[in-house]
Amino acid sequence: MNLDINSTKPIYIQIAEWIENEILVGHFKTEEKVFSQYKLAEVFNINPATAAKGLNLLSDEGILYTKRGLGKFVTADAKHIIQQKRKNGTLKGLILDSVREAKRLKVSEQELMEMITKAHKEIEGDEA
Amino acid sequence: MNIVQCNAVSKSYGNVAALDEVTFSIKQDTITGIIGRNGAGKTTLLKLIAGYWKHSKGDIHVFSENPFNSLTVSANMIYIDDQMTFPDAMPLHSILTEAARFYPNWDAKLAKRLFDYFSFHPNQFHDHLSKGKKSTFNTIIGLASRCALTIFDEPTTGMDEAVRNDFYRALLRDYIVAPRTILISSHHLNEIEHLLEDVLLIDRGRVKLHLSIDALQQYAIGVTGNQAVLSQWANDQEILFSKDDGENSLFLVVRNNVSKEKMDQLLGLGIKPTSISPAELCLYMTQLKKGGIDDVFRDA
Repeated sequence: MNLDINSTKPIYIQIAEWIENEILVGHFKTEEKVFSQYKLAEVFNINPATAAKGLNLLSDEGILYTKRGLGKFVTADAKHIIQQKRKNGTLKGLILDSVREAKRLKVSEQELMEMITKAHKEIEGDEA
Repeated sequence: MNIVQCNAVSKSYGNVAALDEVTFSIKQDTITGIIGRNGAGKTTLLKLIAGYWKHSKGDIHVFSENPFNSLTVSANMIYIDDQMTFPDAMPLHSILTEAARFYPNWDAKLAKRLFDYFSFHPNQFHDHLSKGKKSTFNTIIGLASRCALTIFDEPTTGMDEAVRNDFYRALLRDYIVAPRTILISSHHLNEIEHLLEDVLLIDRGRVKLHLSIDALQQYAIGVTGNQAVLSQWANDQEILFSKDDGENSLFLVVRNNVSKEKMDQLLGLGIKPTSISPAELCLYMTQLKKGGIDDVFRDA
């Protein structure tokens, strides 16, 4: 597994996002233990303190909780919290970027909406 | 707990100050990268911490003692660089045997495994090894000694890329098993940043920055755009570096504390900020002259 060292995103945030993705696809299930900071450090080839920051971030957001002496576990609300967070954060940001680019290119709102509808169909077609 | 504590430490050679009132502390069980240009004072600093050299002014404490002439520091510290010398008459295997007697935490199994992995021969002599092989052998001593304070001063001199990566990985894996305080100086921050918890940036004898690697990664952003427009935009920003790219184009590195309003302004101008990696940031912040090497070739 590789991290994007050149990304603006700090490594601990990339670690947190990786764990979130694993929770979303169901590799880490509710009430299951996630990787420890040492396991993460070994797998991603990073300083264990950096890995711990990623884990703590998820604890602060209620996605993980600590069982003393046992490690970090996935909360019951984890999936829901991640989905809400990404919808209001990542997805909103991507949409803002698209709207800005459209404005620069003099693409109208309607034209942009049509492009989104088309992209939707394409992806649903791929999945069918 | 702080393993190293420096308060206004200076070191001069005659009239030249190699270190000028340096203040910082190093926490226990961290890996800190000591980064800086050639001649910035990295080696001087590390030798003062090791107790090899005596500082001129200020207070320096390592394991709560002045490291110079300290038995505590000598017994709990190892200093690895490419100047290490070993007795001529001892083949490599004897050096390892003696090192095991010398360092109480010596991990003989790790030493043997690394020794075999890097294809050393027990009867070789240190003096006959190539530059890269010498460095590799020295790092084996540095890792296997498992000293509470382990100092690597440019440990990878002469190593090829594959060996460097193997060494970094070995350092990290052994640190996970046996946490200790590690200082590692290097010119290649991009090669070691993933290992580090903190970075201490030294520039011309002074501490320029002492931050966690994550803070460093988000410390600054780069913007490129029309000279007049960008200068106007940046007049209330903290500019860390600027470079005239010619053709009316300007490149700026600014602190990453731009307000949302200013950021929207920037995006509205069609300027997309780029990320500045810790390695790039360190380079920009230790630039000797504003225009860099191109100034040398500029017509007066």
